[in-house]
Amino acid sequence: MPQEPIDPMGLEFQRVSPSYAKVRLVGWGISALITWAVLAVPLVLMLTGVWPGYPAWLAWGLLGIAVVADLARMVVIPRQVRAIGYAERDDDLLIRTGLMFQKVLVVPYGRMQYVDVAVGPVDRALGLCKVQLHTASTTAKAEIPGLPAAEGTRLRERLSARGEARLAGL
Amino acid sequence: MSGESTLPGAADNTVPWQRVHPVSPLVRGWIAVLAILYFFGQNWIENIFNAGDQSGDDGGWSFTPGLVWVIVGGIAILLLIMGAFFLSWYFTKYQVTERHVNVNSGVVFRQQRQARIDRVQAIDIVQPLLARIFGLAELKFEVADAGSTAMRLAFIKIDDAKALRNDILARAAGLKQDRAPAVDAAGSGHDGGAGRPDPVPAGTETAAPAGHPGTPEAPERVVAVVPPKRLIAATLLSPWVGFTVLAVVGGIIATIASHGEFTLLYMIPFFIGVVPALWGQFNQGYNFRAAMGADGLRLSYGLLDTRHQTVPPGRVQAVMVTQGFIWRRFGWHKVVVNVAGYGGQGEDATLRSTLLPVGTRQDVLNVLGIVLPDPGTVRPAELVDAGIAGTGSTEGFTTSPRSARWLSPFAYRRQGFAVTDTALFSRAGVLIHSLVIVAHERIQGILLTQGPLNRRLGLTGIQLCTTDGPISPRVKQMGLDAGRELFMTQADRAATARRLNDRDHWLEGEHRG
Repeated sequence: MPQEPIDPMGLEFQRVSPSYAKVRLVGWGISALITWAVLAVPLVLMLTGVWPGYPAWLAWGLLGIAVVADLARMVVIPRQVRAIGYAERDDDLLIRTGLMFQKVLVVPYGRMQYVDVAVGPVDRALGLCKVQLHTASTTAKAEIPGLPAAEGTRLRERLSARGEARLAGL
Repeated sequence: MSGESTLPGAADNTVPWQRVHPVSPLVRGWIAVLAILYFFGQNWIENIFNAGDQSGDDGGWSFTPGLVWVIVGGIAILLLIMGAFFLSWYFTKYQVTERHVNVNSGVVFRQQRQARIDRVQAIDIVQPLLARIFGLAELKFEVADAGSTAMRLAFIKIDDAKALRNDILARAAGLKQDRAPAVDAAGSGHDGGAGRPDPVPAGTETAAPAGHPGTPEAPERVVAVVPPKRLIAATLLSPWVGFTVLAVVGGIIATIASHGEFTLLYMIPFFIGVVPALWGQFNQGYNFRAAMGADGLRLSYGLLDTRHQTVPPGRVQAVMVTQGFIWRRFGWHKVVVNVAGYGGQGEDATLRSTLLPVGTRQDVLNVLGIVLPDPGTVRPAELVDAGIAGTGSTEGFTTSPRSARWLSPFAYRRQGFAVTDTALFSRAGVLIHSLVIVAHERIQGILLTQGPLNRRLGLTGIQLCTTDGPISPRVKQMGLDAGRELFMTQADRAATARRLNDRDHWLEGEHRG
């Protein structure tokens, strides 16, 4: 995967499954449809003559901006999914996300309180899952979405084992 | 977590179960009782007058059937409430065993709660005014669960509450653990620059105070007090008062300009907001005292409602020293902390997280010496001074590069970080100076971020994840290389610091009178 400026040197990030983009696309589709439906209401009212005074440029403009913005969001989804990566080191787990706003999170195994594996309906259809690592801090909640089910199980077992070995209180 | 098998249902029955004080439901629910008495009392009087109106010349003291029903209903509701109070009291029982605090409560939905004593994060003894009159107190027991208090015993006699607190803390301090005790007691190693005697060398196993009931209160050494004069002055110098003065001046001008149409009476709602806020600040900060005992840092404060907080060593996740530009002239500082279980939101959390409402430089150093016994540097006082007021690279601080001036034209020379052997110091702010200190072993995770603006300017920021609280430690707008290096080295430090040092049982490795 491409090396971004803030990525730590000499570290190979594992990429998540490319089909996770489909999960994101389904979510995107639902939210986009709702936005468009809401923004289309004044346009429909104007065209059917219920609200003839409504300015046409505003009705078309709002919908147009929303459609363009949503399409732009859709185009970057596959790239965003490619930008998600994780790396297991001896003492900690690193997770990187984001294109525009890039983030790298590191969580020492010893701080881990518990590990979750979550599977949504679309995830299940595609054989994916999401591994969540919880610490005592709400900001240090590490999520790795779009993992193949087998990899998710392996990761959970491995994280639990490593956390157990290095577990401390708080 | 470490092979604990006792379940709530299987509580130790050799230790007797106890109940809270019978008056406590009334102390907790007195507002409800008063409201009902008021409501029915008012109804009664109205009914008397209505009855008088209806019966005309009778004089109004005749008992109509309606009035009888109201009285009967009122008494019935009062009895119901009393009954509910009695049941809730009867079914609430607590037990303190060697390892756990158990609380059973609930009438219809029974709840059994168990908290591990060696996981205690803080213990509070709270006395609201009414409870104080009865000589009662509420005991709050926090474990590391972001949010609500794990255990509250409300209300028990103040002496019992104190005894229970000392007992729990002594047990938490001296309890033997399944796994091998930490060999290195590095966290207790060094002096905080406050001129205290050196503690015993690491690894000296001293017998912990006995964990039997009736443990005497550990002796304490006062490290900071807030005299009432300073508290009043600090309260009067708060922004609230500034706004009030401005508003009153504005009101007077408006009154004159409008020839009396606008009067200061219109501003009463404003005062209703401001006066309680000021009063609260004074009431809660009154008689503030911070002391160090073997069982941790002890805070006590309050004029009408008093509180006694105990935070065991190693339970403070992050510390922040702040100084506003008015306070700078007087050399005053405020110190707040993140403690797991105190939570981050709400008035109560803010109050409990305040380690020092207003203190001098020496007070700050004393308090820091307790929450961070080993600053990991030979010049802790100079480092703290540089952190609170300094700019540039003095005392090993790394500041933002020049390119950050586009984003922080005033702060870029000041905002930065310094790393010692045990902690990370992050300073920021021009108008309000702030210094955040996080021990390496308390870091839950580190987040390195870069947005589009930072990318253009070659900057990056770091957020250190700790438990929820008023502080969210971060270092903004570092140079890319400095930021990346800090991220990687700090991750290693966070992971290794903890392996060396587990301070769940702090008295095993250190013993300080």
